[in-house]
Amino acid sequence: MRLAGKRALVTGGRQGIGRAIAESFANEGATVTICGRGPRPEDLPAQFIWYTLDVTNADAVNELASTTDGTDILVNNAGVQVEKTVTESVDADWDAVIGTNCRGVFNLCRAFIPRMPGGGSIINIGSISGTAADPSMALYNASKAFVHGLTRSIAVDHGPKIRCNAICPGWIETGMLDAAFELADNPTAARRDALNRHATRRFGKPEDIASMAVWLASDEAGFATGQLFTVDGGMTAASPLNPGLF
Amino acid sequence: MMLQGKTALVTGGRGGIGRAIVARFLREGARVYAADLTPHGSLAAHDDDGSHFVKLDVTQEVDAVAAMAQVNADAGQLDILVNAAGIEIEKTIEETSLEEWNLSFAVNVTGTFLTSKHALPLMRKAARAGTTASIINFGSYDGFIADPGLAAYCATKGAVHALTRAMACDHGPEGIRVNAICPGYVDTPMLQSFFTGEGSGAAGKSIDQLQQAVRDVHPMRTFGTPEDIANLVNWLASDEARYASGQLWVLDGGLSAQVQQMKL
Repeated sequence: MRLAGKRALVTGGRQGIGRAIAESFANEGATVTICGRGPRPEDLPAQFIWYTLDVTNADAVNELASTTDGTDILVNNAGVQVEKTVTESVDADWDAVIGTNCRGVFNLCRAFIPRMPGGGSIINIGSISGTAADPSMALYNASKAFVHGLTRSIAVDHGPKIRCNAICPGWIETGMLDAAFELADNPTAARRDALNRHATRRFGKPEDIASMAVWLASDEAGFATGQLFTVDGGMTAASPLNPGLF
Repeated sequence: MMLQGKTALVTGGRGGIGRAIVARFLREGARVYAADLTPHGSLAAHDDDGSHFVKLDVTQEVDAVAAMAQVNADAGQLDILVNAAGIEIEKTIEETSLEEWNLSFAVNVTGTFLTSKHALPLMRKAARAGTTASIINFGSYDGFIADPGLAAYCATKGAVHALTRAMACDHGPEGIRVNAICPGYVDTPMLQSFFTGEGSGAAGKSIDQLQQAVRDVHPMRTFGTPEDIANLVNWLASDEARYASGQLWVLDGGLSAQVQQMKL
């Protein structure tokens, strides 16, 4: 029980990566609070505390920080993705992506850092797309680079009291991934091609990210701060140009 | 004429990229030594381009000493050193023999070390004469991310990147700048060999098909020419780059700015 006695807060925890992190934290003995935009999911076990929260709303975030009186572990997982180039993006896209992915992370960190005890750990969900570009994801890519930069700043400014790191997931098996393949001309070939670009020959699972989050949240990671930890099955270790896949 | 009055030595100076650097340096007014194993290097033939040929096996310390003695006797100093000599073994580590591994490091890493070590006294003289001296090493985008079946090559280029930063730290105070160029896919004999070799996994496709596929993966929809690389080498060699040191300069048509391109 590596997180026994700790309190954790996970944003965007209704499903996917956030939900897997919340469950892993609970399995390690943490008391876990989950936030999401909608009402409490019906299938959420009673052991999880749920708050409906719009992370873009600074007042609501401040109120939550006050209500909960802080946390030992903060996971900024809530994020949105808009698949457009710069010229296709409209103001509403900017507000949605930057509002949640940048402003939201900032809101949570600003409100909770003063209420986090020494030894606290912030884990932001960055992305491999914040380091190298995914096509037609301009605002998303940029928003994740913001998360990476903010992660380093918090580590520098708020150490030694608080550690702050980012996890950069690659392709994780979620509903979004299936939808992407279904749009391909040949979904089977597209999936096979994508798998061949992963040294592990599989996509990630939410649990793969959660296991990194548990380690970063735990005291075993006491010397880890200010870093980006990529968990992508080896995809970005390889060149995007693979003659074997032409 | 950005290099007027400067003396330069280019290892691999008669090879694919080195030859283009030599030609560019000559056009910019430099006195250029093209150092290579033979006067025609990795190419089938060589036209007299106005450079001074120096026989140099970069793995042999006696060759490095002799080459610098020749430059010293002729010019008295060396403003620019380009470590462009390199080889590529197209194999995984399991397929790579110890001899091939050692040869990769001997040329790509030890060669950069030996040539630079023996050039330093002449480069200090150039730096003391007023402007900065510039060493340009050849890293690769493969030093950051891996191509399949190029294990030893990837490792040597990562070593060159680290050596570049170390040399920049150690010799910056003496007025010697050290940078590395990290090319992506550049049209050279080495690239043609990679296309036709088995290591790339592309066997069975025509060169034309492969080249078009390679172009299509690049954001610029082309791969590079030796002249593209020479353009940046020239800038790094010139006094315009006097504040540039210790950096790895990726030049790859945007290839490594992107995540893997899935066929969606």
